[in-house]
Amino acid sequence: MPSSQMSRRALLSTAWTGAAVLLANGGLEVWPAQAASKKVLVIGTDISDINFLDATRQFTYSGPIPIRAAYESLMTMAPDDYETLQPLLATKWERVDNGNAWVFHLREGVKFSTGNPFTAEDVKFSFDRLQNWKEDPAELAGNFKSTDIIDPRTVKITLVDKSQPLLNLLVSPTFVIMDSEAAKAHGATSGPETPKTDKATEWLNQNSVGTGPYVIRQWERNSQVVLERNVRYWRRPASFERIVIRHIPESTTQVLALKRGDLDAALNLTPPQLDSLKGQAGIRLVQGTSLDFVYVTLTSSPELNPALGKKEARQAVAYAIDYDGIITGLLKGSATRPPSFIPVGLGGATETLTKQIGYRLDPSRSKQLLEKAGLPNGFSFDLSYGNAAIAGTTYQLVAEKMQSDLAKVGITARLNPLDQATLRTKYRQGDLQSVITFWNPDTPEPWAWAEATVQRVAKRVRWTVPQEVTDLVAKAGGAPTKKESDAYYLEYQKALVDQANYIILFQPVYRVATRTSIAGWKLTAAGWQVDLYDVKPVQ
Amino acid sequence: MLLSYVSRRLAAVAGLTAAATLMVFLIAHAVPADPVLAMLGDRAASDPATVARFRAHWGLNKPLWQQYLIFLDGLTHGDLGESIITRRPVLHDIAQFAPATIELATTAAIMAALLGVLLGVLASVMRDSWVDHLARSLSLIGTAAPTFWLAFLMLALFYGGLQLAPSPGRLALSESPPPTVTGLYTVDSLIAGEYGNFLASLAHLIMPGAVLAAAALGLITRTMRASMLDILGKEYINVARAKGLKEISVIRRHAVRNALIPVVTLGGLAYAELLSGTVLTETIFAWPGLGRYTFQSAVGLDFPAILGITLLVAVVYLMINLVVDISYAFLDPRVISQ
Repeated sequence: MPSSQMSRRALLSTAWTGAAVLLANGGLEVWPAQAASKKVLVIGTDISDINFLDATRQFTYSGPIPIRAAYESLMTMAPDDYETLQPLLATKWERVDNGNAWVFHLREGVKFSTGNPFTAEDVKFSFDRLQNWKEDPAELAGNFKSTDIIDPRTVKITLVDKSQPLLNLLVSPTFVIMDSEAAKAHGATSGPETPKTDKATEWLNQNSVGTGPYVIRQWERNSQVVLERNVRYWRRPASFERIVIRHIPESTTQVLALKRGDLDAALNLTPPQLDSLKGQAGIRLVQGTSLDFVYVTLTSSPELNPALGKKEARQAVAYAIDYDGIITGLLKGSATRPPSFIPVGLGGATETLTKQIGYRLDPSRSKQLLEKAGLPNGFSFDLSYGNAAIAGTTYQLVAEKMQSDLAKVGITARLNPLDQATLRTKYRQGDLQSVITFWNPDTPEPWAWAEATVQRVAKRVRWTVPQEVTDLVAKAGGAPTKKESDAYYLEYQKALVDQANYIILFQPVYRVATRTSIAGWKLTAAGWQVDLYDVKPVQ
Repeated sequence: MLLSYVSRRLAAVAGLTAAATLMVFLIAHAVPADPVLAMLGDRAASDPATVARFRAHWGLNKPLWQQYLIFLDGLTHGDLGESIITRRPVLHDIAQFAPATIELATTAAIMAALLGVLLGVLASVMRDSWVDHLARSLSLIGTAAPTFWLAFLMLALFYGGLQLAPSPGRLALSESPPPTVTGLYTVDSLIAGEYGNFLASLAHLIMPGAVLAAAALGLITRTMRASMLDILGKEYINVARAKGLKEISVIRRHAVRNALIPVVTLGGLAYAELLSGTVLTETIFAWPGLGRYTFQSAVGLDFPAILGITLLVAVVYLMINLVVDISYAFLDPRVISQ
């Protein structure tokens, strides 16, 4: 930007408290849109959750956006198809050693942004470092026995338990590949003592050593992440010279900046804001079904609530909720609903299946179930939730809607709003009768949802899971074909619906607004929100 | 005499600061939530070994009194501990976020002080004229208007509608900040010789600064006006006039200087409040300052960060009070001898 012009603008603006003259001129373009130069992509979103950009350690919602632009994984998935693996850094893979291990053939001719060639050494280093950090994301590699180099173009991952699936996990931004040489040069280690010996995080928070289309140039916490084009990228070069991901926590501010053209994309708008932007010149709305959902738990513990201890009473709650009312009323229709704890789009779960085997509003059935439970006059329970917003609505509104629905069959929900930290603590300790909360995945692998419901989440609702249900999940995870695993998941979902510890309320369809000066923005639910490589300026 | 006065006050600052941190420490730990269990991901939170390791890392497995002693011990080495959320030393976090807030709060304080004193003087001198009514209406609006409402209104009007004001944030949304020296963009851009960025960062300060200034402006205007009216009725003002001094000198030398004393106290407190109370303005104007960090730490139950911020706020309040007290000495030398 020429500095003389800059200073004139700035001077004018500095003087704008007394700028009645300018006001009289009306609409004088003192600050022309920044995003007009299409070499730079400016994204407005809330990035306050990012705690690391060190790809191995980050475990947040926003972090994967820049991470997946700077790093790549062995395989990937296209938006809206979370069942088909696409090759990325691996071109082929096969199961070996009686199903105990997988072999991956790596792509030839790929270079890191550092200039070093990509080899099996880097895969082993990245996965070993992940496993040995023993932190949040490392838990995803909990079933790794070892990662071994067969030759510079081939690696083998051996599993501890072969009934647990592997491939879909590798799509997650947690399993991206780092340049081992460059990372080590900045203090990274991958041995068992990694949490003590590794000194690279601070550097990796500000720089990247991946094979992705962009490189991380700078991260200023709660302010911005700056990416630059990777000039050594192995495919067609990325479309923008620079990408600025700006921390703009307030959605109204995002709307104003998008309308002015200072932003090319605004990611955290509410349904009413998005509706108000619909059809506006220069603005396009993009939508994609997420794999997230909001669900209600009901405890099995008679000590916590004698009524909820009975299965029929829990089922009575499930059949008294006006699901369609929540989706059309609170979410303006921007949501779908799965039958049980596997989201629509995975493991054979569909909206049609929800109609066949899922819950629906049926007050007379609910009343019958109450009679069967020996509670013809209904019962009462504590419904806890966080003081927070979710998918453009609030837990408070969802809870109030549930309360009024349940009152119609004689069930009293006592609303118990809590701050998020207290809610999470108490829920994880299994101390709450009923909770409305949120599930978002770390990988598009249906087994991850199913396994949680029969292991750790089951403890939170104090459900003693019958062996046959646990077996169903293990069989589904280890099944060689999708058809077989979907058949097991179907039985599993029916068992969960009957058990009625988890009631899924809705699975949001997310929407973002972009300028029409950019194209290719597709929302993905696979874990990184958007493939920035696909986003291009419109010529 | 001034020296012993200052050192006595400084000792009080240390004592009061320790008391403030102890209180916040106890309140924070009374919340029935566990920061580790709340902060960890779903899988990790279900792994007792991981939870135990995290608790040990932040000393949360130790008795409360020991945790507080560890905090005090760290303080003596200038160590505020490690933030549970950002996983960095709290001191680094504060050093990163404080300059943005200092820059904003100082701009607001200067705006409020200059305009407030000017309006207050004019209103008192031209009592019951249209100037007086205007000043009083402005101060009423400034005091009464909720900050978030004023912020949205200004942003929608001057940025969205009239397109006169620059974008939210400390610089244009696509612009990179000057190399960090002090963290104050105005200063750093000058050091780097980036004059365009200097003017731009000034321009970006005006609107959020004005929003923050509004509440303080109302208070200062009204206090200054009342204080001036009080003094203009004093006998020595009549004496000064009787001596044949020009009215402007009477007001400037005799009235304003004396009338400033209550305004200085108020201004000091207002500045401290601006430094610690910018959450809403920072959120709406995408201003990466301490307010946002404070909010996040409180919500996430980030004990070390909460304590660090408490300490900072306590020190800021107490130091500003000290500066205010010392400035009395210059405005009115009788203060020390009392």
